[in-house]
Amino acid sequence: MAVDVVMPQMGESIFEGTITKWLKKAGDKIERDEPLFEISTDKVDAEIPSPSAGVLKEIKIAEGQTVPVQTVVAVIEADGAGARSAAPSAQAPASAVAKAEALEGGPAPAGVEAPPPDDEKAAPGPVPTKSDPQGQRGAQKTAAAAPAPPRAPDAKTASSAPPAKSAAADAGSREKVRSSPLVRRLAKEHEVDLTQVPGTGAGGRVSKKDILGAIEGGGARTEAPSTAAPAAPWTAQPSVGTPAARATIESAVPREKIYFGKYDVQPMSVMRQKIAEHMVLSKRVSPHVYSVDEVDMTPIASLRAKSKAKFEESAGTKLTFMPFFVRAAVEGLRAFPTVNASVDGTNVVLHKECNIGIAVALDWGLIVPVIKNAEEKNFLGIARSMNDLAERARSKKLKPEEVAESTFSITNPGVFGGLFGLPVINQPNVAILGLGAIEKRPVVIDDAIAIRSMVYLTLSYDHRVVDGAIAHQFMAKIKHTLENWTESIL
Amino acid sequence: MAPVTMLEAIRQAMFEEMDRDPAVVAIGEDIGVYGGAFKVTEGLLERFGNERVIETPISETAIVGAACGMSYLGLRPIVEMQFIDFIACCFNQVTNFVAKGHYLWGAPAPMVIRGPSGGGVHGGPFHSANPEMYFAHTPGLKIVYPSTPYDAKGLLKSAVRDNNPVLFFEHKFLYRRVKEELPTDEYTVPLGKAVTRREGRDLTILSYAAMMQTSLDAAAELEKEGIEAEVIDLRTLMPLDKEAILASVKKTNKLLIVHEDTRTGGIAGEIASLVCENAFEDLDGPIARVTSLDTPVPYAPTLEEYFLPNAAKVAAAARELARY
Amino acid sequence: MSPSSNGAAVAPVTRQQCLDLYYYMRLNRAVEDQMMKLFRQNKIVGGLYSSLGQEAISVGTAYALEKRDWMAPMIRNIGALLVKGVKPRDIFTQHMAKFTSPTQGKDGTSHFGDLKNLHIVSPISMLGDLIPVMTGVAMAGRYLGQDIVTMTWIGDGGSSTGAFHEGLNLAATQRAPFVLVLENNQWAYSTPVSRQVPVRDLAERGRAYGITSVTVDGNDAIAVFEASRAAVAQCRAGNGPVLIEAKTMRMKGHAQHDPAEYVPKAMREYWEARDPIVLFEKYLNANKLWDARAKQEIEARIAALVKEDLEFAENSPMPPAELAEQGVYCEGCHTIEAEWHRPKAEVTPPKSSVAAGWNVKDFGGIENSATGGNGASARPAASPMHLSAGKAVQKSSGGLAQQSSSPKKLAQQSSSPKKIAAVPERRPFGRGPKGKKGGGR
Repeated sequence: MAVDVVMPQMGESIFEGTITKWLKKAGDKIERDEPLFEISTDKVDAEIPSPSAGVLKEIKIAEGQTVPVQTVVAVIEADGAGARSAAPSAQAPASAVAKAEALEGGPAPAGVEAPPPDDEKAAPGPVPTKSDPQGQRGAQKTAAAAPAPPRAPDAKTASSAPPAKSAAADAGSREKVRSSPLVRRLAKEHEVDLTQVPGTGAGGRVSKKDILGAIEGGGARTEAPSTAAPAAPWTAQPSVGTPAARATIESAVPREKIYFGKYDVQPMSVMRQKIAEHMVLSKRVSPHVYSVDEVDMTPIASLRAKSKAKFEESAGTKLTFMPFFVRAAVEGLRAFPTVNASVDGTNVVLHKECNIGIAVALDWGLIVPVIKNAEEKNFLGIARSMNDLAERARSKKLKPEEVAESTFSITNPGVFGGLFGLPVINQPNVAILGLGAIEKRPVVIDDAIAIRSMVYLTLSYDHRVVDGAIAHQFMAKIKHTLENWTESIL
Repeated sequence: MAPVTMLEAIRQAMFEEMDRDPAVVAIGEDIGVYGGAFKVTEGLLERFGNERVIETPISETAIVGAACGMSYLGLRPIVEMQFIDFIACCFNQVTNFVAKGHYLWGAPAPMVIRGPSGGGVHGGPFHSANPEMYFAHTPGLKIVYPSTPYDAKGLLKSAVRDNNPVLFFEHKFLYRRVKEELPTDEYTVPLGKAVTRREGRDLTILSYAAMMQTSLDAAAELEKEGIEAEVIDLRTLMPLDKEAILASVKKTNKLLIVHEDTRTGGIAGEIASLVCENAFEDLDGPIARVTSLDTPVPYAPTLEEYFLPNAAKVAAAARELARY
Repeated sequence: MSPSSNGAAVAPVTRQQCLDLYYYMRLNRAVEDQMMKLFRQNKIVGGLYSSLGQEAISVGTAYALEKRDWMAPMIRNIGALLVKGVKPRDIFTQHMAKFTSPTQGKDGTSHFGDLKNLHIVSPISMLGDLIPVMTGVAMAGRYLGQDIVTMTWIGDGGSSTGAFHEGLNLAATQRAPFVLVLENNQWAYSTPVSRQVPVRDLAERGRAYGITSVTVDGNDAIAVFEASRAAVAQCRAGNGPVLIEAKTMRMKGHAQHDPAEYVPKAMREYWEARDPIVLFEKYLNANKLWDARAKQEIEARIAALVKEDLEFAENSPMPPAELAEQGVYCEGCHTIEAEWHRPKAEVTPPKSSVAAGWNVKDFGGIENSATGGNGASARPAASPMHLSAGKAVQKSSGGLAQQSSSPKKLAQQSSSPKKIAAVPERRPFGRGPKGKKGGGR
């Protein structure tokens, strides 16, 4: 007969626990009181003994997942039942391996290898059970889990697992998992992997309640429709289904060390979660090196001052400094194609187009709309594109394809003050240009002191493919273009 | 105004329609001096006279045929079947003459055939019929089967005014058992529209006639267990209010159909098909039904009780569906 | 020509009427001949039925109706349709299932009607159902003050259906102004009438319901017409329904597919000598009611009409496929209004109010019945009404002399019709409009 194994309550005020390790796998025999799994809670970590002798029939909650106390985390077929292969069938053994890999933090073979940029299609959806297997709680929990045991075999065999390709696999898994027409439709619409959703319906099927919980818990949208920009700012965001991505949201200290004194807890919005994941991943994947230079912007500043009104009148859009930097960057990228690339394992993918991502600060976060084919646009074209994208970024009207497929990015921390910044590379680019504030400073020209409008530029670059020499030459090209501006802006 | 029974409501409808339009006449067995086997037509003869309250021999074919002929001249006869079971005697007239005239040769038959229907009153196999599906299967007929006095009155008035032949089934179990206050102002209830008797979110119970009350009783039971059933009264079986059915299925994602008619060939099968065709991906569970057995209506009370649905059976089916 | 049974003079059939009768009979046959050819050319959809040899009945009976009267023909009453005003093209297109047919191809043969203008009710294929329907039409017409008479036909076979009996019973109890023409053409499909009905004269069936019943020579157009005229007059006078049994013979099979080899040769020959059109031509000649030119003119008129309408029918399209979905319900396509020929106030309160109660005069005991105490007296089963049953009508036909159903054994079985026709216990539905003479007996 089936015996449920539940998450124990380790203390009066404890209401949840995290499974840190399964000591047995499905199909193993187990004795009464034999250690079965390890948990971590706010107060204490513990090893939990088996409540029954028999065979471990099914593991319901994977390592790394946090569930409320009393949740059924496994099922034992008590005494007399033969050692069957467990419910999630033959995928179980592989899952243990994948889990181990994921925990070690190395990128699983799938995951980060050049996931196609429009993975998410700005869908807020693809977050199966990341944080909420029970479908009850919001995005509050930072589930530091490798959630996808059955995925690993897919990941191993397929080169990468973009949702687009895995749709077929998903369809298959939708059929294999007991659910209902409604559930399958919702899973498809929200790109939820049904194999990830624990079922509480009759016979363990995935019910409407379960799928709605998975959708809500995993990809809780704020209010905007799914095509709105805030949902998926990072073009390079790897498929959130991959183990590596999961592993980025982890804590450096035990959780109880965070909660002390008075505090408010604010659940991360989806955008924030994605930013967090991306930053960790980018730093982990790309060895960042920084190069700083300063540029005399005086000629451009005076050109701008002179032409501002005329430009705005004839072009119908504002004249900022940004288009100058973008145009200069394009010149630099033309001259040094390695900086306009991505890395795929041992291949360097040299992009032929210059799609410049421009980081836009929003009240609620950060987004990087992309000027596509900047190499074909003139100054006016760049100015227009930029202003349009920035404006639509703020009004949440960006389309998914407009925040994807960048090849190089520019960010402007100088706008908020400070001399210069050291930005994080926007994956899968290999470099990002940071702009400082444009300020008047005394400089030496021809042995005399002059007051010039100066700006510090920083290039953060990925030292896997961009070496210092290239980086500096690239920067020099930009500096030269800016300081010797010739292109007509009108 | 005091609450009235369904029977009284039906009588009011007939009075009002016959007052309103002298083209409306009543025809049937024993409907005049006696006032009808169930007294539905009591008082009609005194008020409207022999020309308009026509008492006939025991000849269902002739009665329906004559009513059909009258309707060709623009009269709107209300035919009473003494028990709806006897409509089997004029099946040919109803299905081949009355139902087909408009489609075949442009002759609408604006008549109503009404009669006491349904079981649960120890009426036995020939006085307890629910024959709606023979006629739902016949294109050209409209079928109405109300569950409340308000609806009975409003729907009968609409039926009389409809240009199409309408079969108006009156559940005899409900005749005197349901009472409600009716508006004093003139009102009608449109044909072809269901009504939600109870809002819910866990599952939809679809029913009509006497089973409507049964379903509401079951829903009350279920509420105690935390299951919120949405209960919908079809009221008109033909044409079905497809929009209402589908909207509720889309809302609750689970459907239970309850009817007193026998199982095979009952309208639940038809509705289940309809839902699968139009809202398959809104279903979170199989479509369930609670019906009478596939037998003639038995006579002994113990047998009849076993034969019929009841609130406990409905609640059990709903529970199982909710749990799925 | 013949005095009515109450002795009052009945107008003789005029020459024009005779010519009309001939015209319609000839047209009837010409239309059916044409359709037989169309059938063999594969242009008729479904079956084809022939009324060969029965034209005098269809035409003679229908000709007695007024424009405002209603009729419901059966498949062998094309002649009646033509008399009522239906064009041959409507009959052709119906049989050819064309879009231009009165039913737009939805039904065939004579299954069509016209409520508004010609007052024709369509039959269905089941037999006998027209009887209660036309009874209802008659009842409604009387109720509305329209002074109409309704007429339909039934065969010897159809007279065995439940609908026939229920309908006739209802018509009788309601004293509906309704004429039922029973065409005894000796055969119901392949079964001879002697196997279908236990009486020789089907008029007996009418007498069983206490209504006026007559038997006529169905191949004698004048006799048929006169009987019909009298029947219609009786109905209009409010004296209740009339059954006319017309004896004839179906000269072809049940339908085109039926060669009717089951008909004995001698029987066929007997009736071939009694072709109604041939007989009528002889009559017209003998009474010098026409000449060769008049005949030829009629022929030409018919030929031209048939040709023109045939062309129209053949050139008509079939109905579009989507039509199949349309028309199940009437959702506003018809405005249904009764035509009132009397003040509505008469049938609305307070004028309509009555005291509810029964006035039962005959308590129903055995001492009052016809067969009486010793039950030996045999009474002739004579018709209680104006027309005497089974009067020999047309001498020149030389046919069978029609007698009343005289076998003594039959008379014993029935109670006196006079008794039944005595003061009804209660005024039945509708004496007709108030003030009308002759209402309710």
